[in-house]
Amino acid sequence: MMDSLTGDLAASPEIWLLCPRCHAECLDRDLHQGEFLRCTRCGTEVKSTLGGRRSILRAWAFATTAIFLMFLANTTPILKFDVIGNFQENRIFTGVQGLWDQGFEPLAGLVFFSAIAAPALYLLSVWYVSALCILRLRWPGRRFFFGMAKNLESWNLMPVFAVACVVSVVKLRTLGSVTWEPGAIWIALLSIFTLLTIQFFDRRHVEIDLEENP
Amino acid sequence: MTDRQRFDLSRILVVTGFILYIPANFLPVMTITITGEVEPLTVMGGVWELYDTGLAPVALIVFLASIMVPLMKLSSMAWILSLHGTPVHRQRRMALHGFLMRIGTWAMIDIFLLSVLTAVGQIGILASVTPESGALFYAAMLMCNVVGTDIYKPWLIWQEPKVQTT
Repeated sequence: MMDSLTGDLAASPEIWLLCPRCHAECLDRDLHQGEFLRCTRCGTEVKSTLGGRRSILRAWAFATTAIFLMFLANTTPILKFDVIGNFQENRIFTGVQGLWDQGFEPLAGLVFFSAIAAPALYLLSVWYVSALCILRLRWPGRRFFFGMAKNLESWNLMPVFAVACVVSVVKLRTLGSVTWEPGAIWIALLSIFTLLTIQFFDRRHVEIDLEENP
Repeated sequence: MTDRQRFDLSRILVVTGFILYIPANFLPVMTITITGEVEPLTVMGGVWELYDTGLAPVALIVFLASIMVPLMKLSSMAWILSLHGTPVHRQRRMALHGFLMRIGTWAMIDIFLLSVLTAVGQIGILASVTPESGALFYAAMLMCNVVGTDIYKPWLIWQEPKVQTT
């Protein structure tokens, strides 16, 4: 299946844009500032004067912050659980280790992938692709990392993990005393900055850049 | 992967997801032990426990994310797939598919909850949380759900049925 934005109909002088969502062919035209072209079939934005380079620059800034926060969120404890003097500090990886140690390796793998590996790979891919796009560099692996960023976008589960932490604290309070640790703040901030990165990462601009500067 | 393979694989994953939904919700996903008292909990049991302790809003979030979202996703995908190749409700199917993609991974809340609770299971005999086989079924159902929706791309909704010639 063709995965490119631009396509041309045989013997037609007009330029046709392929809707990235439903693959309908939409007739291209010049746009005024602030205007955008929508697919007549599914309503997806096909072309816009908004976004572009400035949006990519913001995505890069948010991704840089998120990568820094991800490091903090993974290395500092999220919560401290205390039962009659016995206490334990809990990090993201502690849960993975707990599941692995109890013989639930597939679950440990799933949690590791969705809470640690996928967000990390997504942010690093966006950071790399955005940086090359801004600096107009043609370093290798652009398409690979862009593909990775596209595929891992729906695996941004940090907001889900943050809510799960809140629910688990509520549940653990019925068993013992629980106190929040700094890691919880980093997870909350990481969730926000990952969502901002997704919001500002203009895929269409990167696709156009990849086609124009292969 | 061809469009036909995408459709077939998505259909298989949705059917498998429906089958797995039953053990995922009826088998315990975790056992909580506190001062010697052992309590196995299903997904719904966890929701009831939160509700009983007076935490109705939290119970509602967990109920929606871990019980309603997977069921709604499976049912909606079954409806979308049943109309594949027909021109019926195409706009609605597109909108629904987009919505499913947005809410889909919220069902992971139960797996993350289990991972955070299991981490404190190492504290000793006073309090422990151990995962149970239901969690594996739940995770497998979730994967079928997420991959089944993701693999069926929105453009397949607009494909015209192939005309058979003799």
